[in-house]
Amino acid sequence: ADYTLRATANSNENDEDYDGLVVFKNYVESASNGAIEVELFIGTQLCANGAECLQGVADGSIDIYISTSGGAAGIFPYVQVLDLPYLMTSDRIAEAVLQGDFTRTMRDMALADSDNMIRLMTIGNTGGWRNFANTQRRVQGPDDLAGLKIRTVVADLPQELVRALGASPTPIPWPELFTSLQTGVVEGSKNGITDIMGMKFPDAGLQYMTLDGHAYMGALWWMNNAKFMEMPDELKMVVNDGFYALQQATFASPKRKSIQAYEDFVAGGGDLYVPTPEEKAAFKEAAAPVYDWFKANVDGGEEIFTALTEAVAEVEAKIAEANAMDLK
Amino acid sequence: MLAWFLPVFLVFLMIGMPVFFALLLAPGLLLQINGQERDIALLYRNLYNGMDSFPLMALPFFVLAGELMNKGGITTRLVEFSQALMGHLRGGLAHVNILSSILFAGLSGSAVADTSALGSTLIPAMERNGYSRRFAAAVTAASSVIGPIIPPSGIMIIYAYVMGESVAALFLAGIVPGVLVGIGLMLVVRLMADKYDLPKAERIVTPGQEISRLESGVAFVLLRLNLAGLLAGIFALIATSLATVGIPVSVNGWLVFLVFLPIAHLLLMRLRRTVSQDFRIICKKAVAPLQTPIIILGGILIGIFTPTEASAIAVAYALIIAFFVLRSMTLRDLPATITKAALSSATVLLIVGAAVSFKTVVSLSHAPEHMASFILGLSENPLILLFLINILLFIVGMFLDAGPAIIILGPILGPIFTELGVHPVHFAIIMSVNLTVGLATPPMGLVLFVASAVSGEKVESIARAILPFLAVEVVVIFLITYFPAISMTIPRLTGFVQ
Amino acid sequence: MLAILGPLSWVNTHVLRLGRSLGWVALAIMVVVILLQVFFRYVLNNALAWPDEAARFLMLWMTGLMAPSAYRWGGFVAIDMLPLALPRAAGQMLMLVILVLSLLVLLVGVKHGYQHTFGFGGRFDSSSLRIPLDWVGLETVKLKLKYMYASLFVCMILLISVNIELILRSVVLLFDPDAELPHDDAPAILQAAD
Ligand code: NA
Ligand code: NA
Repeated sequence: ADYTLRATANSNENDEDYDGLVVFKNYVESASNGAIEVELFIGTQLCANGAECLQGVADGSIDIYISTSGGAAGIFPYVQVLDLPYLMTSDRIAEAVLQGDFTRTMRDMALADSDNMIRLMTIGNTGGWRNFANTQRRVQGPDDLAGLKIRTVVADLPQELVRALGASPTPIPWPELFTSLQTGVVEGSKNGITDIMGMKFPDAGLQYMTLDGHAYMGALWWMNNAKFMEMPDELKMVVNDGFYALQQATFASPKRKSIQAYEDFVAGGGDLYVPTPEEKAAFKEAAAPVYDWFKANVDGGEEIFTALTEAVAEVEAKIAEANAMDLK
Repeated sequence: MLAWFLPVFLVFLMIGMPVFFALLLAPGLLLQINGQERDIALLYRNLYNGMDSFPLMALPFFVLAGELMNKGGITTRLVEFSQALMGHLRGGLAHVNILSSILFAGLSGSAVADTSALGSTLIPAMERNGYSRRFAAAVTAASSVIGPIIPPSGIMIIYAYVMGESVAALFLAGIVPGVLVGIGLMLVVRLMADKYDLPKAERIVTPGQEISRLESGVAFVLLRLNLAGLLAGIFALIATSLATVGIPVSVNGWLVFLVFLPIAHLLLMRLRRTVSQDFRIICKKAVAPLQTPIIILGGILIGIFTPTEASAIAVAYALIIAFFVLRSMTLRDLPATITKAALSSATVLLIVGAAVSFKTVVSLSHAPEHMASFILGLSENPLILLFLINILLFIVGMFLDAGPAIIILGPILGPIFTELGVHPVHFAIIMSVNLTVGLATPPMGLVLFVASAVSGEKVESIARAILPFLAVEVVVIFLITYFPAISMTIPRLTGFVQ
Repeated sequence: MLAILGPLSWVNTHVLRLGRSLGWVALAIMVVVILLQVFFRYVLNNALAWPDEAARFLMLWMTGLMAPSAYRWGGFVAIDMLPLALPRAAGQMLMLVILVLSLLVLLVGVKHGYQHTFGFGGRFDSSSLRIPLDWVGLETVKLKLKYMYASLFVCMILLISVNIELILRSVVLLFDPDAELPHDDAPAILQAAD
């Protein structure tokens, strides 16, 4: 092979990140007729978190890396725009937004901030949507969250959100969350269903889930910019198409995987609540201070917030138009 | 090309290069020759990242707690307590040496600390009692490996860190295997006592000891609280097992505890009448130090703190005991004691980091996949594979310190056996115990060197005298390997392993 | 040779003493930080976000400042059977070779340490550590990761300084086994115990 791309994901082989990488590898290797080889390193073999791995992408010891928005927030704080609650209301909208110019805006910002070293290739999904789940009671509106101790990662935005909804944010490392739920150190968490079931949290009492879908679990796929730019145009195109195929795979995979997870949750006695449109509106209203906080406190926040909300409005209009034609 | 990393590393190690440098030089050199200069950055970054971990923080904390306890004169108390219990047997001081190690293991996470603390008191005492210095040093070294098997354990903190296991589960799983090693060693002493006519010793070393009012009071309260807690715990276990067979018993934990408190008091008062004054004081003086493992494990079990927090609590407890109860330390001693703990943890942390970078280059070479398919090609029977792996680990343990061995081999071997149906916690114990025993085998047996330094006996002669004890430890390794219940029962019963 | 060794040894003695003072204080503060975390979480029911990262920050600096002293006093774990078994001059030569190879590692390390600290990665914001400039009326600033990364960079520099001292000591001993060497500042308790 003329080019060897070293790709790494910190998750495991059961994760949608891996599904995406397998699709990418297969496409790129065959479409380039062997000119590009893709080496996969799954887990923490090369690096263990966003700061480390993105530094590897910058210095070229890693070519491709997938981070969550939290993982990249230390250097590209504006990627947390994906964590802002209730801006995108469905997979269909999110997927259309992420395939459009919004991603290009974010790419330009990241290239500028990294002295042209780190290139955002595409944004897919990892784990569906974040929902509120707790050990205490059914949550139908923000009032029901009041006073609950909700586990968050150590990052400002999720903590601001939990606080805005009247609950109290409690940072707990992921491996300790099970015991913490069991012993009441925290009373709830905000995670995707596959993570919840993968960690057996219902066994620790996490039995109430509200499908409020407050954050899209975006997967940001980064690449060493020099590595990409040194390729001839036809191979660049192959890589670009490869990332398109990867994106589609990561859009589809969580939907398939979550079916069993939801069934298992309910079968284990879990209470799954879908909020009504009115209740969703109440959540959104309660979360509004977070938007202002984001625009005021995050570098590039205003710019990316505008880019996202405009993209969402555009996509919503297009989808409404398409729906009207489809229903005719 | 990269496949040479292990032989090159071993050559550097054998010529006497510090482990830290050998771990970095071997892969670095190969990457350079291979034209992969950009990956040397990966090596450096992982050295840093390997150390940058919250769970690892338990390492310096437990070392510090051990240093504070040691400075507080707690070693002597534990030895005297052990002697009061076992000194009168034939081979008395050899038994005392082993029992002290079991008790000391609850305060310290390192075999080296055990050897230097207990060895400096017990080896001279055994010599005076008529043992050969060689034998005394061998017993000390052999029993000190119990230190990192019974919690707290530096080795298990490292294992949990690289493999993403729960430290708490590993700690709990180590209790029975550690005691089992102790019992095995005592059996050897028993056999040798017959053959070589090993001497007995006095049960009470220094009669007429005094105990301060405060310490006596603290011991009085702690004994009752612990016994009541233990009884309440047993009661809770019975209640839950009744519930599983359909007899619901709903109990308030605090209420049960309060009921058992007077019962505990009555039991202890009964016991008090049957023992001598001297014996009673020696036992009371062991209460405060032996509370440490109970605080650590109790806190983790009830779920009020994580292992890292437990280690900080252990430091706080050691400080309180040393300053206020035993009054064995002053503020002036503090900097030197903390400095000592910081010095030894700094070198351990650097080695952990270097081992993580070494592991990264191992991954780049795809060696783990090759090794996994090679091992799985040997046999499909997990029992046979476990046998082979134990032999491999034993040989590795001779040359490599336990920490780096776990960091490099754990991620390769662990998944293979998990796939074959061995529980990850069970495999963790097999690997940790095996590599811990390696601390007492030449040429890289750290505790042999420490035992030699403490006793003034040659490493070679201790290495010969330790052979019967090592044989028993190998037997225990195989017992642990083929009877998972030995390690898994406590974590299962307490719900830390499903 | 001794003309260089003397001053270098003096510098190492004083710089490492300062390092150890900062190092033990860092370990002490680590304990306090974690105890605070426990207290806030379980007693005040209000979990703090910063102790995790703050304690790691201190641990890394403790390691970076302490390890050079340990290296100077022979505290780095090694199998020294072979150098000790060889005839004196040969053993001394072998030690020297090992020291020079170690120096090589450290020199490459310091180069990467510089890039790691002052390059792209060092510009990341810490996720929870802030310099509370709002106490003096300014805006709070997030701590950059380079202040954490610098711990290992500084460690590398100090290790090089120690390594050169050890090389000089070794060379002096190679030519004159009875040479009077400057004191290495190791406290008596450390030499006795481990
Ligand atoms: Na221990
Ligand atoms: Na012992």
